Amino acid sequence: MNFNYIKSLVLILAISITACSSDDDNNSLSGENKLRVEFDNGVNGDDLLLGAATYTNTNGETLTINRFNYIVSNFVLIDAEGNEFTYPKDDSYFVISEENELTEVVLENIPAGKYVALKFGVGVDQEKYQQGAEGQGNFLQIAEDNEMMWSWQAGYKFLNFEGTFTSETVTEPTVFQIHMGSHGSSLDNYREVTLQLPTQALVSDNLSPVVHMAIDANQVLDGQHKIKLSEKAVIMIDEVKSPQISENVNGMFRVDHVHNGDNIQH
Amino acid sequence: MNDLQNIRNILVLLLGIFGGTFLRAESLIDSTKVFSDFNFETSNEDSEYNKNLKTTTEFFEFDDCDVCGCGSSGGSMGYGTIGNGDFVGLRYITQQYQSRDGIYNNSPWIDENFNTMQAWARIPISQKIKLNVIVPYHFHNRQFADGTSQKINGLGDISILGFYRLISPKLDGFLPEQQTKFKHNLEVGVGVKLPTGEYDRANNEGSVNPSFQVGTGSWDVLLASNYSVSHKNWGLGLLANYTIKTENDQKYHFGNQFNYGVNVFRTFNTMNAKTFTPVSISPVLGVSGEVFGENESYGLAVKDTKGNVLFSRIGVESTYGKIAGGVNVMLPVSQDLNGGAVEAKFRLGIHLNFVL
Repeated sequence: MNFNYIKSLVLILAISITACSSDDDNNSLSGENKLRVEFDNGVNGDDLLLGAATYTNTNGETLTINRFNYIVSNFVLIDAEGNEFTYPKDDSYFVISEENELTEVVLENIPAGKYVALKFGVGVDQEKYQQGAEGQGNFLQIAEDNEMMWSWQAGYKFLNFEGTFTSETVTEPTVFQIHMGSHGSSLDNYREVTLQLPTQALVSDNLSPVVHMAIDANQVLDGQHKIKLSEKAVIMIDEVKSPQISENVNGMFRVDHVHNGDNIQH
Repeated sequence: MNDLQNIRNILVLLLGIFGGTFLRAESLIDSTKVFSDFNFETSNEDSEYNKNLKTTTEFFEFDDCDVCGCGSSGGSMGYGTIGNGDFVGLRYITQQYQSRDGIYNNSPWIDENFNTMQAWARIPISQKIKLNVIVPYHFHNRQFADGTSQKINGLGDISILGFYRLISPKLDGFLPEQQTKFKHNLEVGVGVKLPTGEYDRANNEGSVNPSFQVGTGSWDVLLASNYSVSHKNWGLGLLANYTIKTENDQKYHFGNQFNYGVNVFRTFNTMNAKTFTPVSISPVLGVSGEVFGENESYGLAVKDTKGNVLFSRIGVESTYGKIAGGVNVMLPVSQDLNGGAVEAKFRLGIHLNFVL
């Protein structure tokens, strides 16, 4: 008798647990829409709070970050079939600035598709720079407004990273300034990043996704190359350290998640 | 603020009713054990009374799969619990969650309060078939770090289930050989959850709790099973149920949900000596858990939406004649909800039923 009860119970549990899976097929997507890329700046797993928080990196240096600006450019979207959509080059330069709350890139008129990867450059490529001051369009002004220019001759700052730090040897809070860029056409620090999206970004007439990126400012000094501020706290034109910082900066981007939907507001 | 006042009013009302019941129960003359309830234990002396009592007090429990009509706010709280066979009544449930507004370790936490007032009933169709209906009304709110708040309220998702009793406890006779030591009860149910609650996709955006909704917007299938065994005044209940959720018309698909629970209870019986109204009090202890599958949006998995939570549960149920009520508190023991971005804090359920 008891055994029968147990058998029935097990049976019912088994039926209960059996899930039904659905494999919904997205109907073919058509039209075009916006795709937003959100640059959510953080440091070492925490949200970046300029001037407010301090943190210690693996170089044993304790930083307070007061400025974190960088240039992103030349966006390319790659779909599931490997097709690349290159965003119009003239419109493809953006400043991300934590202090000025420029943290979103809106790409307009993206053709419908299921995008699996995002490619962009950090900084301004030589081709664009060679177009001269007139060839930069509005972007020159935007870069100047956000402290991203040395001078036209010296070129753009691709990264403007500033604050104060202390270390074992530097006990008083000391200003650091990391300005990385290509220096004229002699030192090219422009580099491209390709990021896989953890979820496809769906674009169509009624689908406008948000790609939410997490950027780790800690990587600037504490990435694949370890840059000690106690050795040099102001790095602008440095044939050794600038390219290293450029490589570090390439490692600071990660796509955290993708919101699909109409995403009128994020 | 209004919500808080509502909650307080409801609490005061229910406490008043039950407080009164308990006070009256205290003044009763407990003439040995006047009756022994739940048709579980029957001694010869008691059986006369028992025959007069309609045996309405079978162990019954079904998890309310979707207390708030959405992911992790579902409840393994149970539908009523011990004690009430067929009933109509009201249940108030409050649930507190915290969810992280952002993707970083220091991102602010949002306090979320899910409140539900539901009308519920278990209606006998036949001796073995019962119909369960739940009509919830939700009033949820959450406070953001910047001091702003959001409220949603409205009719939730109505659930209708049919239960079939596979194993009925045997009624004891007068003779010792006609009495069984353990009474088993097993019922299985199948039902549907209707998309009567409004689903708003905008509440799913951002990194906050995707379950801040009054409905899933979907037609869902409910499968349920309850088993209980009792010995004398002690009882043990097991429950397991599964909700198969479907994609709603906004292309959002909440993950399937599995609920389970184990409860132990003991019933103390007495009777109002003047009116012969039976009175019982049953403390309940147990654990219950919920396992959530991953949500999908446009057929694509949504990051950090699956999870599980295990609650401890302590409660007390009481009947006074045809009136039955109870209070249950659930506290999380362990949890891993939404990749750590959602934390269940507390659940409280209070019900007041009229036994049919």
